[in-house]
Amino acid sequence: MAEENKNSNTDENSKLIGLVAQFDDPDSLVQACDQARQAGYTKTDAFSPFPVHGIDPALGIKRTILPFIVLGIAVGAVFIGLGMQWYTNGGSLGEFSTDESPVFPGYRFKISGKPYFSLPANIPVTFEVIVLSSAFATFFGMWFLNKLPMLSNPLHRISRFKRATNDKFFLMIEQADEQFDRGSTEAQLNEWGAVSIDECRRDLTDNNLPSWLRLFALMGAILLLLPPVAIFRAMGMTSRAPRLHVVPDMDWQDKSKTQTLSPIMMNDRYLFADERVMRAPVDGSVARGQLDADTELYQGIKSDYVPTVSLTTPQGSVRTGLGTQDEAEAAPPVEDVSMYITEFPKEITVDEALVKRGQVRFNIYCAACHGYAANGDGLVNQRAVALAATGKAQWTSAKSLHDATVSNAEKNPLGRIFETISNGRGTMGPYGAQIPTADRWAIVAYVKALQETGIKPVVAVSDDESGEGSEANDTGESASTPEDKTQPTP
Amino acid sequence: MHETRPAKITSPITTLNGGHLRTAPVALIVGAIGIGVAIMLSLGSEEGLKRFMFTYLTSFCFVLSISVGCLFFVTIMHLTRAGWSVTVRRVAELYAMCALGLGILFIPILATVISGSDMIYSWNQGGWTMHDLTAAEKLEFKTVANRPPLEQMKYQFLNQNFFTIRVIAYFLAWGGMAWFFLSNSLKQDKTGDKNLTSRMQAFSAPLMILFAVTVVFSSFDMEMSLSALWFSTMFPVYFFAGAFLSALCTILLTGLWLQKTGRVTDEITIDHYHDLGKLMQGFVIFWGYIAFSQFLLIWYANIPEETFWYNLRINQPGWMTLSILLLVGHLFIPFFLLMGRGLRRNRKMLAFSAIFILAMHWVDHYWLIMPQMNPEANLYTLTGMGIVIDLACMVGVIAVYIAMFCMIAGNRSLVPLKDPRLGEALNHEVH
Amino acid sequence: MATVNPILDNTYDDAGERSPLILGGLDYAGVTDEVCGIWEADKPPKIWFVVLGAAISLLMVLGGCVGHLLMDGVGVWGNNNPAYWGWPIVNFVFWVGIGHAGTLISAILFLFRQNWRTSINRAAEAMTIFAVVCAGLFPGVHIGRVWVFYWLFPIPTEHLAMWPNFRSPLLWDVFAVSTYATVSILFWYMGMVPDIATFRDRCTTKIGKFVYGLLSLGWTGSARAWHRYEIAYTILAALATPLVLSVHTIVSFDFAVSQVPGWHTTIFPPYFVAGAIFSGFAMVVTLLVPVRKLYGLENLITIRHLENMNKIIMATGMMVGTAYGIEFFIAWYSGVPYESYAFYNRAFGNYWWAYWIMVSCNVMIPQVFWIKWCRTTPWFMVIICVFVNIGMWFERFVITITSLCRDFVPSSWAYFHPTWVDILMLIGSFGLFFTLFTLFCRFLPVIAMAEVKGVMPRPKDH
Repeated sequence: MAEENKNSNTDENSKLIGLVAQFDDPDSLVQACDQARQAGYTKTDAFSPFPVHGIDPALGIKRTILPFIVLGIAVGAVFIGLGMQWYTNGGSLGEFSTDESPVFPGYRFKISGKPYFSLPANIPVTFEVIVLSSAFATFFGMWFLNKLPMLSNPLHRISRFKRATNDKFFLMIEQADEQFDRGSTEAQLNEWGAVSIDECRRDLTDNNLPSWLRLFALMGAILLLLPPVAIFRAMGMTSRAPRLHVVPDMDWQDKSKTQTLSPIMMNDRYLFADERVMRAPVDGSVARGQLDADTELYQGIKSDYVPTVSLTTPQGSVRTGLGTQDEAEAAPPVEDVSMYITEFPKEITVDEALVKRGQVRFNIYCAACHGYAANGDGLVNQRAVALAATGKAQWTSAKSLHDATVSNAEKNPLGRIFETISNGRGTMGPYGAQIPTADRWAIVAYVKALQETGIKPVVAVSDDESGEGSEANDTGESASTPEDKTQPTP
Repeated sequence: MHETRPAKITSPITTLNGGHLRTAPVALIVGAIGIGVAIMLSLGSEEGLKRFMFTYLTSFCFVLSISVGCLFFVTIMHLTRAGWSVTVRRVAELYAMCALGLGILFIPILATVISGSDMIYSWNQGGWTMHDLTAAEKLEFKTVANRPPLEQMKYQFLNQNFFTIRVIAYFLAWGGMAWFFLSNSLKQDKTGDKNLTSRMQAFSAPLMILFAVTVVFSSFDMEMSLSALWFSTMFPVYFFAGAFLSALCTILLTGLWLQKTGRVTDEITIDHYHDLGKLMQGFVIFWGYIAFSQFLLIWYANIPEETFWYNLRINQPGWMTLSILLLVGHLFIPFFLLMGRGLRRNRKMLAFSAIFILAMHWVDHYWLIMPQMNPEANLYTLTGMGIVIDLACMVGVIAVYIAMFCMIAGNRSLVPLKDPRLGEALNHEVH
Repeated sequence: MATVNPILDNTYDDAGERSPLILGGLDYAGVTDEVCGIWEADKPPKIWFVVLGAAISLLMVLGGCVGHLLMDGVGVWGNNNPAYWGWPIVNFVFWVGIGHAGTLISAILFLFRQNWRTSINRAAEAMTIFAVVCAGLFPGVHIGRVWVFYWLFPIPTEHLAMWPNFRSPLLWDVFAVSTYATVSILFWYMGMVPDIATFRDRCTTKIGKFVYGLLSLGWTGSARAWHRYEIAYTILAALATPLVLSVHTIVSFDFAVSQVPGWHTTIFPPYFVAGAIFSGFAMVVTLLVPVRKLYGLENLITIRHLENMNKIIMATGMMVGTAYGIEFFIAWYSGVPYESYAFYNRAFGNYWWAYWIMVSCNVMIPQVFWIKWCRTTPWFMVIICVFVNIGMWFERFVITITSLCRDFVPSSWAYFHPTWVDILMLIGSFGLFFTLFTLFCRFLPVIAMAEVKGVMPRPKDH
């Protein structure tokens, strides 16, 4: 049990730190701690493989100040988190920036209509900053208060003590305690039920760092400094070396930009006479799938039509949705309605499938303005009309397709509807590039079906119809939802 | 080292001990006076009876959320086989049982719906998708077929008959659940049969599903549909967070009151209050989390179908003050009031925090309900005499609720006498 | 080694007493021996090498894919108009979700004093960190030019002359996930220090002594240290609990602050969190059942532990199911045609198959856990949990892809097609995950010995 009694606590080789008594179960440890405290010992510590319930009062351990440290850090983090976001996104400290004392400017840009500094959107990051700072404070604060990490501890030299992290329990009474007496303390410990008692001695002979460690540490520190030094050096100087290309095929792509000079030179002259990088097609060549000689199918114009008067050809005039009414009025097109076909081209089979297809395409491309029921009350139109009323936009109302000028087969034969979809009309933009030919005919079929079923606008207030430029005005009171749709029967 | 208490009830008094015979009539009279005063004053106000009905709904939803929260408390404690909470569970059981009685208090509100009035729920008559209607249009919209499509669609859910059926179903479900737990628990007081505990545990899982479904739809029906156009999937969670928080406060306050008046002095210990305080703080944060998430998502996406509801509460001068009060009073102040071990083990501080949170929870329901009464009016047009109406009604409804609790508690024990986990609860210690 | 207790079933339900957490009559030394035995064995079991080999092969596949991606750009993925967020974000949310169980078990169950957590929390925390590593990979490589990743952080540099946009939910994600990874590692490491000290004290090799000695920071098990340690652990748990909620909440904000139908719904934050816990627990069960079998840890990770986890899986599964229901109801109730269409399209549109895989795996299949046999039979619960994880992957797939492929502009509607890189990266991420987990099982304490000992009955009580 007890080691041989030594008269002096310190000899030349080692110094007595304290006595370490072993116990076999947590309850005896708590009891012993309690008795040690009652006996007046203050410099005591217990060691156990897990936190033993009830040992804090038995040893007289005061509650740690750690929670208050964390609270302080957390409160500080609120300001750091918010301040960082205010400064980087909303701050205007940049205004104080001068050449002599540059201040990093706040990077102020509007995103989705939110203010530069918008508190609700800044809460999540602030929260994360608080949690991160508090967690660091807890983690490092705990080790700091516990005086860990400790590289060397004489306790680990006791072989029995290795079971302190396994299944045994230890009580140490330090030599520094006023009550400590080598003999009587050991007797007391035995009395309190210690299974065995060891001396904890600090080795005085071997307490210097190994010499190689110093050298290694010094070299390591120098080596660690090299990368930052290199980075700072590179940042502070200019270089003539070409920049590093990490992804070469992104930096050098095998292509020429459109509308540039040809890179190919021969004998100091451009390869091509026009010096351009792009080649114009050979005269008369037609790209695959673009032979649209059949005017009935591709333009809605009778194949045997011979222009009698000079016309503005529909293909020639480029119209966009941005065109204003003034322009449209300035050049009223002269139009020969008789040139348009009145029947579907022979390639198009009119059946239920075509009308169904037309409905789908109509709802995608046309309904936004003309409305699902073609009343001219599409949501875009409603919104634009409302904006136009306040003077915030210019807008010509989308036409109701049930309007007499549109639904009249003589004034507006099938070919003309097709032409309208393809090239636009008035302020309506052209859709020829977006919708394949067959689909445009399908829309024509669907429009005719809508007109035949005669769905009338809910509220339709028509202006004077005095020509192409003026559109029927549908203020669109009622909200149109998909449920409004009526299935047309072809 | 520490002594283990035997699993025995040692308090001399474990019932209301006749206190209910004194308290209940007084509370009922106070309730009648409060509600009466509120009705009288509101009849004289600009909005008439509508003013009363809205403030009545506010106070009703406040006490209802306490009962619903207590029901959840009981169910979750059985579901998780909790041992620590046994001694405070009976109080929660009794409050949960009040849900059935609250069904009676809901009759005036239901009556407005059945009578076809749009005094509270504007969907009960047509025209809520439009702004002001002329009398002729209102008449026309009485026929469902004449209404706009959106209203017609919602009418399938929001109509007199279906609403009535649903509300009755909620109260029956809550009452049935509460009765199941209370009766089995009372039976165990007599027999001490531990199989009853197993039985309640086994049933708590499916009953939790029933609870979830009823709370989801009741929150939609009773509060969200006040603004018939507005919708938020988070709303039931918001309702639940506040409900459980106020239930914890109520259990804690009731425990303190019972012990102060010399009942169950030994069974509920400071450690139980400590744990209730921890849960309260947790749910203060949870409420803040839910409220903030709901707000942030609607604010950020900025879709007019949703923002108008917050617009009313944030951009109107009076309601904005109330919104900020909620943020500070329902989240920040309680968070710090319950921070730390010292505050959570101090009965006076806990009582103060609980009363403070309950008051804020009433404000929360006020904030949810009152702006819908007259979206044109701001808070200041409601104050003045309005404050008296609100407070009188609140005092009245709470008094009736207390009377209900006393009558249900009666001479029944306020702690489970022979719960198999009683020992665990009595020896409960928070480190 | 302690004597083997013949009673190996602690799943009985007796209201009168608490069933034991640890079986087999283990004492303190017995627990240490069982856990340290894994690492002290001369050679790990053969199956360990097989798993590690397979995992490393998959990891190499992942490495190849990442290399290919970095060299050729993110075009190698199937992300294209209109589904610009394809599988990478699906995989990201999937892995982050799995990464929630660890902190939940450690922190939330700790605060709720659920003592049974002690046997499983260490492995779950490790799993959390590895899952977050897998999760971070996907957005990490998605930024394209990974070598300038530091632009994500507010670093004052003159040459950049700009700051990140703090109003963007994607930046919130950067902060949330990196905070979560950091705090999880602190929490995991702090919890492990006493156990590493045990390893240090039992270690016989010189390298082991040095490494574990360094990692254990000189821990002695002093009562004064334990006191601060326990308080710090509680504070970290109290910090990690809202943190774990916030992380998946912010992930859900990525979707929900937008105006895309099917993404913008206010219940997303708690619903995503419930889903994350759901998938995380399923992954813990999937991992722990083979681990306990392989290393003979049946006395420490008992059937009751698994049963409790299965109950939580069932509960969170039903929360997720309730959220599906509320979403559907409100989509109809709102009367907004886009919203209604988005949900109709999920269930009956092009992606109906994905939706119904999700519903059956997440809501219907876990219902078998109502039956006791199903939740107490290890091989069976693994099958169910694999289904749960398949379902949760599909949940993220359904949310991301169906909504994007049916956006407001019908002319751009399309059908999403993943590329082989997409598929191999998903499979490869499992390689990364299992490589790390297999190494963890071999070299670190799989079970929190100190915590298990703390909740064991004291010897004198017997």
